[in-house]
Amino acid sequence: MDRRTAWFLLVAVSLSMAAGFLYPAYSVLQEAFLDLRTGKPTLEYLGMILADPVYREGLANSLLLGLCTTVLALGIALPLAVINHRHDFPLRRALALAVLAPMILPPFVGAVGIKHILGVEGSLNAVLGSLGLVPDSGPVDWLARGRFAGIALMNALCLYPILYLNLSASLAQLDPALEQAAENLGCRPWRRFARITLPLILPGMFAGGSLVFIWAFTDLGVPLVFDYTRVASVQILDGIKGLDRNPLPYALTAVVLIVAATVFLLSKLLFGGRRAGSAPRPRMQANPARLGGLGGWACSAFFLGITAVATLPHLGVLLLSFASHWHGTALPAELTLAHWQEALGSALVVPSIQNSLAYAGAATVLALVVGLASAWVVVRSDLRARHVLDTLTMMPLAVPGLVLAFGYLALSQEGKPFHGLIGENGSPFLLLALAYAMRRLPYVMRSSVAGLQQSDPVLEQAARSLGAGAWSTFRRISLPLLAAHLAAGCILAFAFAMLEVSDSLILAQQAEHYPITKATFALLTTLGNGTELAAALGVWSMVFLSTALIGAALLGGKRGGLGG
Amino acid sequence: MESLTIAAVTKAFPAKPRAHVALDGIDLAIRPGELFFLLGASGCGKTTLLRCIAGLETPTSGQIRFGERDVTRLPPHLREAAMVFQSYALWPHLTVGQNVAFGLEERKVPRDEVARRTAEALAGVRMGDLADRGIDQLSGGQQQRVALARALVVRPRVLLLDEPLSNLDAQLRVEMRREIRRIVKENGLTAIYVTHDQEEALAMADRMAVLHRGKLAQVGTPEQIYRRPDNAHVAKFIGETNLLAGKATSVDATGADIATAAGALRATFGAAGWRPAAGEAVQVSVRPEGWALAEGEAPDAIRGVITDQVYLGQRAQLTVRTDLGELQVLRLNPEGPAPVGAAVGLVARAENAIVLPA
Repeated sequence: MDRRTAWFLLVAVSLSMAAGFLYPAYSVLQEAFLDLRTGKPTLEYLGMILADPVYREGLANSLLLGLCTTVLALGIALPLAVINHRHDFPLRRALALAVLAPMILPPFVGAVGIKHILGVEGSLNAVLGSLGLVPDSGPVDWLARGRFAGIALMNALCLYPILYLNLSASLAQLDPALEQAAENLGCRPWRRFARITLPLILPGMFAGGSLVFIWAFTDLGVPLVFDYTRVASVQILDGIKGLDRNPLPYALTAVVLIVAATVFLLSKLLFGGRRAGSAPRPRMQANPARLGGLGGWACSAFFLGITAVATLPHLGVLLLSFASHWHGTALPAELTLAHWQEALGSALVVPSIQNSLAYAGAATVLALVVGLASAWVVVRSDLRARHVLDTLTMMPLAVPGLVLAFGYLALSQEGKPFHGLIGENGSPFLLLALAYAMRRLPYVMRSSVAGLQQSDPVLEQAARSLGAGAWSTFRRISLPLLAAHLAAGCILAFAFAMLEVSDSLILAQQAEHYPITKATFALLTTLGNGTELAAALGVWSMVFLSTALIGAALLGGKRGGLGG
Repeated sequence: MESLTIAAVTKAFPAKPRAHVALDGIDLAIRPGELFFLLGASGCGKTTLLRCIAGLETPTSGQIRFGERDVTRLPPHLREAAMVFQSYALWPHLTVGQNVAFGLEERKVPRDEVARRTAEALAGVRMGDLADRGIDQLSGGQQQRVALARALVVRPRVLLLDEPLSNLDAQLRVEMRREIRRIVKENGLTAIYVTHDQEEALAMADRMAVLHRGKLAQVGTPEQIYRRPDNAHVAKFIGETNLLAGKATSVDATGADIATAAGALRATFGAAGWRPAAGEAVQVSVRPEGWALAEGEAPDAIRGVITDQVYLGQRAQLTVRTDLGELQVLRLNPEGPAPVGAAVGLVARAENAIVLPA
């Protein structure tokens, strides 16, 4: 690629990142660090946050929640990924996809389902009651008892697929000869795992782990549904509801941002620069050993068990959407289609699906254009500034959605630069599309980079030597070679945009513009059968997302380690 | 030192519509201390056989024995059959020294002995001063030496080498050939070496096996394989040859008289001693350097016309058109270019002509 085009793309991408990402994030930090009256820089608000025992507790709880979730998720994902990498067992292909099931359900919707299973009048108590195991003091409120643990477990069960995918990709890229050489020199399987495999997949493990940590650390939906207010994210949301220029929620947001960015940068610093075991492309195919008999079925049972536990929330939501009455019994006493019918007639449900499709669709297109352009510069140009671009486009992963949503909200007020993005009738279409696109950019960017790295530039040079121009080469050679990777990245970006919580909750203000997630929240707080309607809507989004993810797995799976 | 026995080993990979048979009933007996080569075109099964010996693949049927011990089902880490991988498979997260020390540490060798033997092994491949280097700071040749040291340091019962020189440039390859043979012989190792490079095999092997489509085509010393091939495939795969169609007119204890369309010649048997029946259709293999240009009136010479020649200084390659088709002829130390278009007679001594099944 000639340097002029590279510079042009680099500047264009950097400018759009500056406007859509850096500026909003900066505006949040600014509120936190500028004195409200004098406009001078101050650390006073930060000090107030750190001195306030309530905020301190919220931050500590958030940190602990992030940590526990990450450890739990790793405990689930690592055995899954390693077993799938090393062994062939009955139903392997199907089960390797099935463990991804949590990704089709937003954690907070899952939390609604799990409440109906673990609540005082939930299924678990009903089952225990029928077995005569209820204590004399009356049924246990499992959620109130272990609210914190419940949130951590819920998050872990929803987020372990992120780690599983990262680990699977790292394992798939490992040259099998590296493990075989250890085996050949007399290393037992467990020691081989500890001395060779684990150190080599550590970068992937930390990359996935930091994503899970940041997600759980800043997550808003699950604590809200569990009525757990003593975490930073909920405190921020409560703090800005007033919007009376109180600088404290901003300062709290700044703290959250600093912690998240530190974790992200640490994992990059520790492992980003080191060449993973993937450095030379694997020459051999890893061939998982076929496990016959009991061992094989034990692996299948393990996968099935994880899937079963992880899909409990899905089951809860599904049952709830069909339940006419569900209290104190293991399963709903009566099934009905009424909620589904009512949902279709609700002023919230159908428009919210349309809205979400429009927002997420536009966001995906935007992310594709920006992501592909920057991936091109990063992989194919020799500009020194390409490293800056690489870091810049990955930064949205480090910035909690809450922070960005907050920045967009502040900048879209009357008289601020983003006010123009709000449509005539108050439609947040452009605002949300931009916000979603920025947050999901890293997914498209990473898969584009992977695709470009795997396609040999010689193929493009051959086209150039035969007289094809830059654009023609891109359209006829590069794009077809990249198509699978791009599609996989886009589908993930689209799916996660449909599930987005923070931006949706904060930026969509009027009922007719609500996306699915906000509509679900609105329904949950409605009296009457709002919860059941929300469940019906939740089932709809599951159907959408499972279709999208299976598509992604089929398109990019063989190369990305997805699905196996 | 350990002998190695491969008895009726078969390996089939499941594939659709039919299973792919990579090894089809291989029988081999490799002697203690022997540098044994597995040679063949890509896809012939040589690497699969090596990986079966290492335990990285399990044969579908048959038996592999180290000495008297059956190791067919033994997991790889208990075999003591250290392998040098084609890609070297050096661990990028460990230094040169740590890579080499790994196998000793796995064997719970005392710490000071690990240090001593690691240093010795690195010195043995002339890498003594690079123990603290990272793997990505090494050149291809250095990586190759480290891979070799890593396998040798554990004093394996059998050393396995999978095309270890294929990633090196031509000059380094020639150097490393001597080096590997020296190290194997000095350490008294039984070694199996896989390659598709026939020159490498001829230069280094004590004995070798040529594999063809999962079967043994021939086993023998380099000289036997080159000078007395058992079949047309081996004759063509190792070096260059001319295959002449003919018919055996008489067969005796030392050889056979063959009649061809362009004349008669006397041929010896291949190493396995296959003999045609009188009157049977056969092929005769004559290497380009096996021909001599007939002096004067030789009645049995094959007559032809020189159609092309390539002068290479120490030798000249002639193409001669005869009634048997175009034949390749090599003249050593040619004293001047032969004129294209000249009529010549070609003769081959009986030990340079091998009679093979048609």
